[in-house]
Amino acid sequence: MANIEDLKEEAKKLLREGKVKYIIGYGAGTNGWPAAPLFIKKHEDVDKLVWNPTCVHNLVRFLVDEKRRKARQKQPDKRPVGIMVKGCDSRAVVVLLQEKFIDRNDVYILGVSCGKTGVVDDAKLSKKMGGKKAKKVEVDAQDRFVVTTEEGTVEAAAEELLAERCLECKANFPVIYDVLSGEKTKRPLDKPFGSLEKIESLSAAERWSFWKEQLDKCIRCYACRSACPMCYCDECVVDSINLAVTADTTADEKAQRIRWVQRSAESSENLIYHLVRAIHLAGRCIDCGECERACPLDIPLRFLNKKLEKEAKELFGYEVGFDSALPALISSFRDEDPQDFIR
Amino acid sequence: MAEDYEPRIVAFLCKWCSSAGSDLAGVSRMEYPPNVVPIQVMCSGSVSPLYIFSAFNKGADGVLVSGCHPGDCHYIKGNYYARRRLNLVKKLLEYIGLEPQRFQMSWISAAEGTKYTQIIKNFVKELKPLGPQTKMRRNP
Amino acid sequence: MKRTGVFICHCGINIAGTVDVKNVAEQLAKHPGVVHSEDYVYMCSDPGQNLIEQAIKEKKLDGVVVACCSPNLHETTFRNAAKRAGLNSFRCEIANIREQCSWVHKDKPKATQKATKIARSAIEKVRQNESLDALSVPVTRRALVVGGGISGIQAALDLGNSGFEVILVERNPSIGGHMIQLSETFPTLDCSQCILTPKMVEVSRHPKIKLMTYSEVQDVSGYVGNFKVKILKKPTYVDPAKCTLCDECTKVCPIVVPNEFDLGLTGRRAIYIPFPQAIPASYTLDDKNCPDPFTTIACGKCADVCKPKAIDYDQQPEIIEEEVGVIIVATGFDLYDKENMAEYGFGKYADVLDGLQFERLCSASGPTQGQILRPSDHQEPKEVVFIQCSGSRDPENHCAYCSKICCMYTVKHAMLYKHHVHDGQAYIFYIDIRSGGKGYEEFVQRAVEEDGVVYLRGKVSKVFEENGKIIVWGVDTLTGKPIEIAADMVVLAQAMRPSTGAQELAKKLKLALDKDGFLAEAHPKLRPVESVTSGMFLAGAAQAPKDIPEAVAQASGAAAKAIAILSQERLFHSPTVAKVISNLCTGCGMCVAVCPYDALALKEGKVEVNEVLCEGCGTCTATCLRSAIQVKNLTQQQVAEMINACLGG
Repeated sequence: MANIEDLKEEAKKLLREGKVKYIIGYGAGTNGWPAAPLFIKKHEDVDKLVWNPTCVHNLVRFLVDEKRRKARQKQPDKRPVGIMVKGCDSRAVVVLLQEKFIDRNDVYILGVSCGKTGVVDDAKLSKKMGGKKAKKVEVDAQDRFVVTTEEGTVEAAAEELLAERCLECKANFPVIYDVLSGEKTKRPLDKPFGSLEKIESLSAAERWSFWKEQLDKCIRCYACRSACPMCYCDECVVDSINLAVTADTTADEKAQRIRWVQRSAESSENLIYHLVRAIHLAGRCIDCGECERACPLDIPLRFLNKKLEKEAKELFGYEVGFDSALPALISSFRDEDPQDFIR
Repeated sequence: MAEDYEPRIVAFLCKWCSSAGSDLAGVSRMEYPPNVVPIQVMCSGSVSPLYIFSAFNKGADGVLVSGCHPGDCHYIKGNYYARRRLNLVKKLLEYIGLEPQRFQMSWISAAEGTKYTQIIKNFVKELKPLGPQTKMRRNP
Repeated sequence: MKRTGVFICHCGINIAGTVDVKNVAEQLAKHPGVVHSEDYVYMCSDPGQNLIEQAIKEKKLDGVVVACCSPNLHETTFRNAAKRAGLNSFRCEIANIREQCSWVHKDKPKATQKATKIARSAIEKVRQNESLDALSVPVTRRALVVGGGISGIQAALDLGNSGFEVILVERNPSIGGHMIQLSETFPTLDCSQCILTPKMVEVSRHPKIKLMTYSEVQDVSGYVGNFKVKILKKPTYVDPAKCTLCDECTKVCPIVVPNEFDLGLTGRRAIYIPFPQAIPASYTLDDKNCPDPFTTIACGKCADVCKPKAIDYDQQPEIIEEEVGVIIVATGFDLYDKENMAEYGFGKYADVLDGLQFERLCSASGPTQGQILRPSDHQEPKEVVFIQCSGSRDPENHCAYCSKICCMYTVKHAMLYKHHVHDGQAYIFYIDIRSGGKGYEEFVQRAVEEDGVVYLRGKVSKVFEENGKIIVWGVDTLTGKPIEIAADMVVLAQAMRPSTGAQELAKKLKLALDKDGFLAEAHPKLRPVESVTSGMFLAGAAQAPKDIPEAVAQASGAAAKAIAILSQERLFHSPTVAKVISNLCTGCGMCVAVCPYDALALKEGKVEVNEVLCEGCGTCTATCLRSAIQVKNLTQQQVAEMINACLGG
């Protein structure tokens, strides 16, 4: 993986010169998982930044918090925020730009390339380690993962430990950046949307069985919503538990929030919540996998959003998160949009 | 499933074309089963995915959305957005295993009273063997 | 506390025959919020309406549902009744239990159950209806006409004669368009300039018409009744008040450039008048060609000889801002360039002309004073081939559509040729003859019977020059034989295209174009002079190929539509428009992108609705991920309740 010394130098410069407010990056983790998000305000702390295959987090979510913070301040600091992004994360930045949620001047993008590999999946890693704690995960010159434990090192082929989404990676280096650390290696796309094949090949009844079982587990903790950078709505349409009441909110507005679903974690209500979320992410989800990673019940949420990502591509020729000048998927159409489903 | 099971269908009809087509079916005294209750919207483009999901959640066995033919939308292009948006809804519903016959979309013009009648008749016929919709229904 | 009144109509036996109306009224009386429920034989009758008015007053109803026939029939009737009783008309809703229930079902219990559901749905809707009043905006009672051809001229005159101020903007130095370039018009062979110049003079003298020639529309903002237009007035460097048309300036001007009026068949000077009858009657100094590329200052010769001192090299362009209530776009057409015709020589043969060029040859004030002469050697052509459908009706290579006028002007050209060159032979290659107007068919027959024009049914595959002749390879499909003609001149009936620059103007005005680049009409059958944008109208060939009588009719039609707006002091508009719930809006702009009427705009990160442009279609509401935009009186909250009611919940 890329050696980020050049990125660190740039980061130090930015902080020394006061060009950014702070930097959101990856630092050493605690609790057995090597990496964690790190917020750096002083240039002396930049050396704490790390870049390794355990940097799975999509830090772009913190830009949403930053915007909320600025909105509450009377005289906000208008300087940009520095942020480390992988290829997939950078596409989230593109979508936020597309939706004018942030301005290009609000971010200074420190891009890192995943080269020929990507990040590891913690479940796969645990399985491979068989109980031993991973202290360090690196990529060797042959693009194999090398995991250091207390008892030595374990090697594994990339496919064994790579996160599922890395196997379908569309952007192994950032599509938008101010500086880029690492090579712009062209990776042949293994099989776009290959992970969907298994579910799609099931019969309708089997698919229902699968999804009912998975979604019945849901406890409506909304971790998926909290982790997703695109779920930045102050009030979620499906379940308004967060009405952003300002001085201007009228009684009517407060009364007007519809309860499309009940709060109880019942089968039907969970299903509607997830369906609405999936539809609202159509053309916006860039498969960072955070929703699935955040879910305490291991619900395979990626498969819901990925399906619509695939349909966006196949039905409408729409690629998410590459061009911030593109209109949104649902606010555009083509004359040749398919209508074979219409009677 | 009970012999007397009658599917309940909610139909979102655009005012200028499909609802007018439905009116024409009435004026022409055509006959179709009473399973469908219509809701008139201004444009098929105004049909939100939330309506579809909510209809199923409240117990609809089938949902129909009908608008003007492409190129004829009274509001110029609402039906193109409906076409794209509802295609995604249909694919999503089928993906989670909902029977594909339950959600239908059609283009019915103000002159197509016959087509409206046929669409409803077919819809009821296709839904009967499937039985009541319980997958998305609250408290089935 | 809601107080809804429900009225179930029997409609004689139309409804009551299949729906148990008494039962429906009983059921609905128990519906939450319903304080009055009754049935009556004919609700739309006077006594029926009185029942509603009485109930509103006596029971202090704040919402009314009438379960009856389709709203298309009596929504207005019942809304007016509510209004008379002092209840806001938008608090009255119709439940269609006839066309969509009693007339299409036979099972009485089921039809009754369905009628109840339909009525419940309407009750839930009306309970959340706001009181609304029609929106009104003041109207600027002036009009803008863009384009000074026959259509623009006609529209301007109609508007001026109706008492409204009109600004007529034309980008050329004179009005007249293409019609003034014509020699004679079919089917009467009227002298085109003779019939057009009186109208042109009328425009110049009309007290209500402000003529701005050599000007172009730069920017348009606003909406119907309230447009703000910026017009660029280009400098002519000649004061029209002083110019006496003495023509001394052209005699000394050293610069010669192709004459656009004669379509390149002649040259003109840098200072020029496009044609003698130009309106305004003044010369123009073309600053694109003067000074010439090698010097940077004007030579000054024209100013030296100008006795009235009309020439002023210091004239500057001006941006003039005007406010108008309506805009009529009449930007006309241009012919499809001969350069596109690979089979016919790419436009590089001097003796292969297009229709307008031939028209200039025929014209007495044209490059050859009305003599038909070959541009190459000024000899009289003895054999002329006319090719119809050149560039039209050819979806694979050129334009798919028919340009409508070519059959007629080609036969006119053939006749004029024969009138000028008595011993000449005219051949017309055609696929069909489209002569549907008044006197058109007879005109065509006259050409064949009296003037000996030869019609050959077939396409021409190639035209090329050889030994001073133009060789035409065609076919006569009626005899099945290939034909080769060594012609002296070929005239191509080139397709009609929208005028150059029309696309850019359409963008500025946000006018839609159809698939061929012509201005899009609101409805091809019933609304041919209106654009989709409220307050903007279309006239003439800018909308589609057409002949002069159609252009004139359409111009008057557009003027009439414009007058309908201008004759009101205020414009009224349905109030069931979109509204934004600001604190939910994140400024993503998706709704702005989908609005067919450009009624939404982002201002400082939030969306604002222009209520006058909004038609209430609701596409924005389904697009918004946050439900931050709703349509008044058909909100998503209302639909949620209606869905519930429809399912019997």
